[in-house]
Amino acid sequence: MIISWTYISAIISSTFRACSPILLCSLAAAMCSKTGVFNVAMEGCMMLSAFFSIVVNYYTHGNVILSILAGILTSMIVSGILAFFIIKLKASPVIAGMAINTMSNGITIYLMYVFFGRKGLFQDPSLVGLTKVTPFFSKSLPELASCFYGLTYVDYLSWILAIAVYVFLYKTVIGYRLRAIGINKEAARSLGTPVEKYQFLTMTCSGILCGLAGVLLSMGSVTLFIQNISSGKGYIAMTANNLGASHPIGVAAASLFFGICQSVGSFLQQTSLKGQITGAIPYVATILASIVSSIYVKAKKENKIKQALKAQETKS
Amino acid sequence: MILEMKNIVKTYGRVVANDNVSIDLNEGEILAIVGENGAGKSTIMKILYGLEKPDSGEIYVKGKKVVFNSPSDAMKMGIGMVQQHFMLFPPMTVTENIVYNNEQRKYGFLDKKKNIEKVRELSEKYGLDVDPEAIIRDCSVGTQQRVEILKTLYQNADTIIFDEPSAVLTPGEVDDLLKTMKNLAKAGKSLIIITHKLNEVMEVADRVVVMRAGVVVGRVDKTDTSTEELSYMMIGRQLMNLDIKPVETGRTLLSVSGLTMGSESGKKVLNDVNLHVDEGEIVGIAGVSGNGQSELIRCITGLEREYEGKVLVDGHDVSNKTVDVVRKAGLSYIPEDRYLWGSATEASLSDNLLMGEEDSQAFSKNGILNQKTIDRHADQLIKEYKVKVDTYSQKMKELSGGNAQKIICAREVERDVPLTIACEPTRGIDIGAMEFVHERLVNKKENKGGVLLVSSELSEILKLSDRIYVMFEGHLNHEFRHGEIDDRKLGIMMLGGEINE
Repeated sequence: MIISWTYISAIISSTFRACSPILLCSLAAAMCSKTGVFNVAMEGCMMLSAFFSIVVNYYTHGNVILSILAGILTSMIVSGILAFFIIKLKASPVIAGMAINTMSNGITIYLMYVFFGRKGLFQDPSLVGLTKVTPFFSKSLPELASCFYGLTYVDYLSWILAIAVYVFLYKTVIGYRLRAIGINKEAARSLGTPVEKYQFLTMTCSGILCGLAGVLLSMGSVTLFIQNISSGKGYIAMTANNLGASHPIGVAAASLFFGICQSVGSFLQQTSLKGQITGAIPYVATILASIVSSIYVKAKKENKIKQALKAQETKS
Repeated sequence: MILEMKNIVKTYGRVVANDNVSIDLNEGEILAIVGENGAGKSTIMKILYGLEKPDSGEIYVKGKKVVFNSPSDAMKMGIGMVQQHFMLFPPMTVTENIVYNNEQRKYGFLDKKKNIEKVRELSEKYGLDVDPEAIIRDCSVGTQQRVEILKTLYQNADTIIFDEPSAVLTPGEVDDLLKTMKNLAKAGKSLIIITHKLNEVMEVADRVVVMRAGVVVGRVDKTDTSTEELSYMMIGRQLMNLDIKPVETGRTLLSVSGLTMGSESGKKVLNDVNLHVDEGEIVGIAGVSGNGQSELIRCITGLEREYEGKVLVDGHDVSNKTVDVVRKAGLSYIPEDRYLWGSATEASLSDNLLMGEEDSQAFSKNGILNQKTIDRHADQLIKEYKVKVDTYSQKMKELSGGNAQKIICAREVERDVPLTIACEPTRGIDIGAMEFVHERLVNKKENKGGVLLVSSELSEILKLSDRIYVMFEGHLNHEFRHGEIDDRKLGIMMLGGEINE
């Protein structure tokens, strides 16, 4: 195996591509958990968005804008329904969210047969994917530009959105109110904030982010719909949200880590390693990262206690 | 007259919480509403603040009839409330807590400087000392309460309701609070204080409304009444004088030596604690809450096992042992939070009375519960403790605070073990129930038992304890015998001060 710049730059660009959907979904999760709602349905929202954007893409003969809007709208509707169940009907967020995730897999398989008469995979030459952006420095710095090869504007948008979500949550009045709701719902209510309305709107709007993630899956690197297209990325996003402590910047870092795992995993497929092993890399990394982070947090806590005791002893 | 509530009626199911209650309030006046728990004083204030809707009756603010559907409606009419359980955002700053929902903004962004300025202005105007940029989590309880008061002032409240405001404060902080209340009244604010601490009423109130069982039983000017008269009106009978005789002490039931524990915030929450409780003794631990009392009790009872030091219960070494081992060694425990730790709110009364004893010979055989003896046991305890219940199969959460506490006391005090640890056994319960709990604790000691009493209520400690330890910053600083010390000196020592005679 020869390690060359071509090889490294290919890994970097594929890292970015793998990262974007996870980043978008984990930002959605972060917004929800900062507002005090536990959202586990990113997987389902993403999958349904991916499907319906392809449906609209097919029937409008490749109208990309309408396809994106269809994906976003689908995800918002699904998030809205979920929010209605969780916030209005007080359903368990885990059970309601898991129901949506499981159902979306079945629904897309069924509807794929209804709409296209296909099983497992739908691909058509009339489908148009997202436009790939060529970096403006591609002529002057072709080596650097190759790191950004194949990225669509939605990929770039995901990073802008990470910053936007940060500014929204931490600098704006509405963001501050949302965070306060997440900290103490009752206190916010006692000051006259319509808590449920805010939570409902946050959850529904978080659907926009999952919707974009879905569009990226079916119209990004490839333009097709395949059964279980999200393949657990929504759950990885949940972990990313956890590792990043629901802070947009932390979440972005965690998503990047998972993006690296995924791209390294798929590149190792070209080596003599068994496909089952390389394919498992992103998921194993997820589990390991969760374990390591919880061990780290616990050790930090214990260490703090020990140091405090020592400091007291030397004083007295 | 700034406020008038006329003939308010409110029922919860079959219970009449307010029966034709009328209350009026003048400008610049402090009105105290006193009564036992369940007398309906919280209900009437919840109605005034828009948290509950009355079944019938009318509210007039400044002569205008109003209907409140939510607290924000009440706030718009200038009514604010300082809740007993603070409604704050702990990780946020003082300013962020005060300006919430009415922020100074610039193009949708939070204008940090302007908000801080506003808070500083307000705090200076009313002499309520706070640091606008401090994080609430790091503030003392007294400061947090000042933030709550500032919140109501920021919303331009001219009527402020205080719900049991002194329940969480140290003696020094209570003095500050009472001063603040007088200042606010002088500045033209009208205040309503809900409380059952009559000495505070006598200190600040202009008028007193006494409630009992949902109705107003008395309206008096402070100058025309006394604490004795008020307490008589509140409970409808004279208080009994509990006769406490010293009992000869015997063997040591609890011995703690060298107990030390650290915390993640970086200080020693317990620092070389040594104490003992003997047969025939009630031993009190006095201290401002948060000085390690809770942690000490958690260590002794086995809820916390990562500590250094030795704990002996009735001669058995139970250091770092689990709760089960500690309890079996001869200890029962009334936890400080009766709903979080003391009981299962969704379970029946007989289940709650059984808890902890379910595997004893008397109540089960080969893992099968003997429901008959369990029910008989529950029936007996409920009768003995005069708990007001419909049936012993009703849920714990349906009981009032005082009755729930009686259930927990019945279970723990009547357990056949020599030592009982009682944490805040009378917090937030009415005088009648308090009297009863005290009587049972004294009864326990007279029957050759021992009691370790932890309470932030100084009068309780001084009245019941044969010996008193003063706890400050995780250490027991002083030890006194009954009658050696008064509440003023004890208050100073609880804050870490020394007495120079």
